[in-house]
Amino acid sequence: MNLLLAEDDAILADALCEQMRASGFTVEHAPNGAVAQYLLAKQQFDVVVLDLGLPMVSGIDVLRQLRQTDASLPVLILTALDSLEDRVAGLNAGADDYLTKPFDFPELEARLRALLRRSRALKASTELGQLSMQRETRSAQVRGEMLELSPREFDLLDLLLTHQGRVITKEQINQAWSGDRAAPSASDGAATNAVEVYIHRLRRKLEGAQVAIRTVRGLGYLLELERA
Amino acid sequence: MSPSRFSLKRQLLLWLLLPQVVLWLAGAVFSYRLAGRYANEAVDATLLQATRSLARQVKPMGNGLLIDFPRAAQDVLEADPSDKLLYTVSSPPGQFILGNRNLPSPPAMPASPPLGQAQFYDGEIESDGARAVSPVRVAALYLQFGENPRAQQTMLVQVARSSANRELLARRLLIDTMLPLSVLIVLMSMIVWAGVGAGLAPIARLRRLVEGRKPNDLRPIELDAAPQELRSLAQAINDLLEAVSHNVEAQRRFISDAAHQLRTPLAGLKSQSELALAEAPPGPLTMRLARVHEGASRSAHLVNQLLALARTEPESLQRQTPVRFDLGRLAREVTAELVPRALQQNVDLGYDGPDSDPECTSPSQLDDRHGAGPETDDADGAPGRPVAVVGIPLLLREALVNLIDNALRYAGRGARVTVQVHEAGDHAELVVTDNGPGVPEALREQVFERFFRATHEGNGCGLGLAIVKEIVERHGGRIGLSTARPRGLRVSIQLPIAA
Repeated sequence: MNLLLAEDDAILADALCEQMRASGFTVEHAPNGAVAQYLLAKQQFDVVVLDLGLPMVSGIDVLRQLRQTDASLPVLILTALDSLEDRVAGLNAGADDYLTKPFDFPELEARLRALLRRSRALKASTELGQLSMQRETRSAQVRGEMLELSPREFDLLDLLLTHQGRVITKEQINQAWSGDRAAPSASDGAATNAVEVYIHRLRRKLEGAQVAIRTVRGLGYLLELERA
Repeated sequence: MSPSRFSLKRQLLLWLLLPQVVLWLAGAVFSYRLAGRYANEAVDATLLQATRSLARQVKPMGNGLLIDFPRAAQDVLEADPSDKLLYTVSSPPGQFILGNRNLPSPPAMPASPPLGQAQFYDGEIESDGARAVSPVRVAALYLQFGENPRAQQTMLVQVARSSANRELLARRLLIDTMLPLSVLIVLMSMIVWAGVGAGLAPIARLRRLVEGRKPNDLRPIELDAAPQELRSLAQAINDLLEAVSHNVEAQRRFISDAAHQLRTPLAGLKSQSELALAEAPPGPLTMRLARVHEGASRSAHLVNQLLALARTEPESLQRQTPVRFDLGRLAREVTAELVPRALQQNVDLGYDGPDSDPECTSPSQLDDRHGAGPETDDADGAPGRPVAVVGIPLLLREALVNLIDNALRYAGRGARVTVQVHEAGDHAELVVTDNGPGVPEALREQVFERFFRATHEGNGCGLGLAIVKEIVERHGGRIGLSTARPRGLRVSIQLPIAA
């Protein structure tokens, strides 16, 4: 995965490049806005990490210009500015996520992966533990064995896998289902029961996949790797 | 008057009204005296006349006196029954010859009486045998008679008149002058009172404007329709307020800028130490690196918290418009966001909304951490009944993040943390409960102080609850700590509910 890191602080940039490479990214570093623009024009990237306070061309301007040519490239703003105005300005300019310095690298990595999952790059196929899933064919396997999934079960699994490690609410599940004609309306009391039924079924089918659907009290569900 | 009881109004009234009353009293005394004198002069003139005419009727005849006092003359003298003239003729003085014996004698019988000159004095007389005495004004005239210039004799003619009329006259004069004056005084006092009150009203207004202020409210005082003197005072206060607010703003800006400037290098330091820690081979150096990384993380956390605290300052609040939103939704979002972190720390973080099925929150089912079949599934997640509040969502989010963060930090691994939102009467209540060690009762006030830490465990910076308190108070709410049952800490935030 190609990642562009536009950050002017050399020490931070150096460490980030190392950490990202260790996480499996191919990293290009731009120390200022002009270089970032040049690299964006010349190369294909899967995701961009952008500092707002870049020399020469500001991060916001880089982002605005990028959005004129590429509307879908995921951009995460990494900045020292954290006021509501800055946040709103960044998101309005077309950023997909916003993280303030200082941060924990795992947090940054998780957000980058979430961005990537949402974008084309990883949409075709996702894996977790012994579970793999292909969106093209709407199919999933555990240890290479094909799973028998109803359309709703697949939508549910897709949602959980796309947001792995994060909470999915019943509301979100119902929204994902509402694309299907057969789905009951979200406000329906039966819908919530249906979610529970489908989660139950999915848990059974995922046995042996080394993944677990965890129930989060009062909120929803979360897909994670089974703990040893 | 002690300084604390010193009142400008009292001073003014004292200086304006007291001299008036004193002068009025002096005027009254003076008027009474003057009236009395004029009355006396009038009476004395008639008495003198009467004395002289009486004296003319007394004619010396040889060694005796012939008093030709016709009835008609007597009638004239005693014409007015209510104001009778009494007379006495004595010769030598003191030896009664004619008239009324009861007439008081002159104050001092002089050795050589002033001849031909009338003396006036006040005295008392027993009226008509009754025990009562009545005051009289007496004129006394010494005359000499005798045909022989060498053997002249002296006679004393006294005429007295009741003073009752004279006093009545004086009193009437007094009343006639003092009554309008008194009315005037009362009117004046009322006008002065009202005038002083109206004149001092702007001071009271100014006081209220300054008195009711919060210490961080540095807006200029708006004092319209105030007199020049107060306007200058208000202007002076405003100038001071402006200078202070300028200073405060500059300081705040500096702190905020400094914190922002610290963020990037701290992020670099943190990333580098994180990286070094991951790459270093196990050994004593790794421990040092771990310390460095911990220090960097702590500093990073501190800077973030300081900036969060700065965001709760009124100046930065003024730039944000409060909106009406569902507190329950916000709480669910924030809680869901923090669930992954909680899981990392092996903390069971959950939400308990207004519409949660009570069966789903019974402890036996909640203990089933990994979820189970549909029968015991409590992953409600459906939007409950909205609990609307008015405020700045970003700040309340910050507050809730801090509360959950505290619970995750201090409740310990394996703890249970539950966020609840519900309506309680006329306010919305957000509760974060954990089953950790809790906070000793004695420290429950102090934990809201900045940089106060109730424990030396963990790497908090002592700002979390201070931030939460600031935010909650800016929203007109209250925060309280109590003990959760059977153990743990229960932090409750109460916010006014939006209509």
